[in-house]
Amino acid sequence: MSNLLEVRNLSKQFSAPGGPFRKARSMHAVNGVSFDLPKGRVIGVVGESGCGKSTLARLILRLVEPSGGAVTFAGEDLLAKSASQMRALRAEMQMVFQDPYSSIDPRYTVARAVIEPFEVQGRKPDGSAKAEVEKLLEMVGLDAGLASSFPHQISGGQKQRVGIARALALRPSLLVLDEPTASLDVSVQAQIIGLLEQLRDDLGLTYLFISHDLSLVKYFCDEILVMYLGRVVEALPETNAPARHPYTKTLMDSTFEPDPKLRRLIAPLEGEVPSPFDLPPGCAFAERCEYATDICRVETPALNETGGHPVACHNPL
Amino acid sequence: MSMLSVRDLGVAFGSIHPLSGVSFSVDRGQTIGIVGESGSGKSLTAMSVMGLLPLIGGRITDGNIEFDGQDLTNLPETAYRKLRGGRIGLITQNPMTSLDPLKKIGPQVDAVAILHLEMTPKEARARTEDILETLRIPEPALICDRYPHQMSGGMKQRIVIAMALAADPDVLIADEPTTALDVTVQAQIIRLLDDLVKERDLALVLITHDMSVVAQTCDKVVVMYAGRALEFGTVETIFDAPQHPYTQALIGCIPRGGDGTAKLDGIPGTVPTVMNYPKGCPFHPRCTRAQEICTTTQPEFTSYGDSAAACHFAGVAP
Repeated sequence: MSNLLEVRNLSKQFSAPGGPFRKARSMHAVNGVSFDLPKGRVIGVVGESGCGKSTLARLILRLVEPSGGAVTFAGEDLLAKSASQMRALRAEMQMVFQDPYSSIDPRYTVARAVIEPFEVQGRKPDGSAKAEVEKLLEMVGLDAGLASSFPHQISGGQKQRVGIARALALRPSLLVLDEPTASLDVSVQAQIIGLLEQLRDDLGLTYLFISHDLSLVKYFCDEILVMYLGRVVEALPETNAPARHPYTKTLMDSTFEPDPKLRRLIAPLEGEVPSPFDLPPGCAFAERCEYATDICRVETPALNETGGHPVACHNPL
Repeated sequence: MSMLSVRDLGVAFGSIHPLSGVSFSVDRGQTIGIVGESGSGKSLTAMSVMGLLPLIGGRITDGNIEFDGQDLTNLPETAYRKLRGGRIGLITQNPMTSLDPLKKIGPQVDAVAILHLEMTPKEARARTEDILETLRIPEPALICDRYPHQMSGGMKQRIVIAMALAADPDVLIADEPTTALDVTVQAQIIRLLDDLVKERDLALVLITHDMSVVAQTCDKVVVMYAGRALEFGTVETIFDAPQHPYTQALIGCIPRGGDGTAKLDGIPGTVPTVMNYPKGCPFHPRCTRAQEICTTTQPEFTSYGDSAAACHFAGVAP
């Protein structure tokens, strides 16, 4: 199976300029992330707020310019492309955003929103615009009668379906899904996830799925990358692989089973996430880790496959 | 006798009735979960108990709310003020907006004990520091001197919990206390609430949309939909043998990772808005088992062991 997407050592450093009352400072939002996404697979990126998962998504599409590393999409080196070449390539790689309330222009009708990607690309749909809108709405399970509605007239779940229809308009091969169900009710979340599964099977799509919800990622994805403070700390090759990184274990233990018989005493993680502007040397998780030893506070562990799947830990479980 | 019991509660805003027929009760040392999707009336139930409806133009039209043997339904505002934030504490969903950004943490928490326990500022501060310490907040004295923006979301939620605890309440109402938080922080807060219920013998009303949180913490559950309670019972029966098709569907919406055998179906359609509550059973337009009778007649509760469901076909095999 060939890789649709290859990410190597991708990094993004943000700087906050200094002023009269503060020093200039910088942080690594994404730090040396590498992974391969084979065609047809679904990789989930999971982590808590501020871990860099959304920045990673934007770096891959070059919606945010990376500070270093390489992204290869279908054999093309994305970082070598000009803005116009990049725009043309983005027809192949689309994104679905978290908040369907703000990702669609409130003055556009559903039809206009769905057809807009063609205008951006300066292309025309194969058939008439009206037929294309109907086709796209049908693909995402929306009634064609909604085409003339405005976003405020439809529900959150319907809006997210419009968001997906927009992303599908140019028939991409890769969809980057950035928390596509985080603002939806559970019953609607399940509908959207069901739709995404069906679209993957029907259209042979490849997904990069960003989420904070480990149970959802475990359900939906084939492989999982766990991020903490800008780094991938563990790459789970399958969703029920046991955690090797103490942070992954904490994440798994913090996720409750939907069954009162499986209730367990929670041993909560102590301490707080350190400020990304002021990271301690060594492993960023060491301060909160019960397995931390001296080396953890000095040397940043790299992803290492010794003894199992890749984990960035000096004392893997 | 229950610490808090709500019977057949109905709420109206003008001629609109967003809430009707909601009943539940909770004892000391017990946690009841009120679960439902957005727009199901969970928060409105909390506001009714807190006596905050007049503030948003609503009124109680049916049923009653009893707290420790006292009827709250017609309690005058002056008496309510003594209870609210005193013997009945409230934890709101968003810790970012429930603290005053211009005031330091110390004075904000102190105010509760000064108001409800008539303490001097000095006594109140000592109490505040005690409470922060029981909530496992490091260096309470230092925290009292901070502003909300200097703290993380999880820490702010602990401060909000400290405020709710400051007047030594008997009942705590927690409205989506962990929805705005990360999972590891959610686990910390849920553990904290669990411990508080046991150590202080509190009655906790936990309002949430997350069935996993319910499974982890609650003793009893009320499932709400479109302003009505559709099913209630012990947490074990609700999860093991849910009778109402909505409860069954809601449990079916929880992603269970790993084996990949269970398919997520979702529930077709969307939660109705208050202007469009359906006639008959409120769930019938989305229900796979709906019959003629469901579109016309609101079902009564039928009991099954220690639970009850408002469905015409509860207990009937599909």
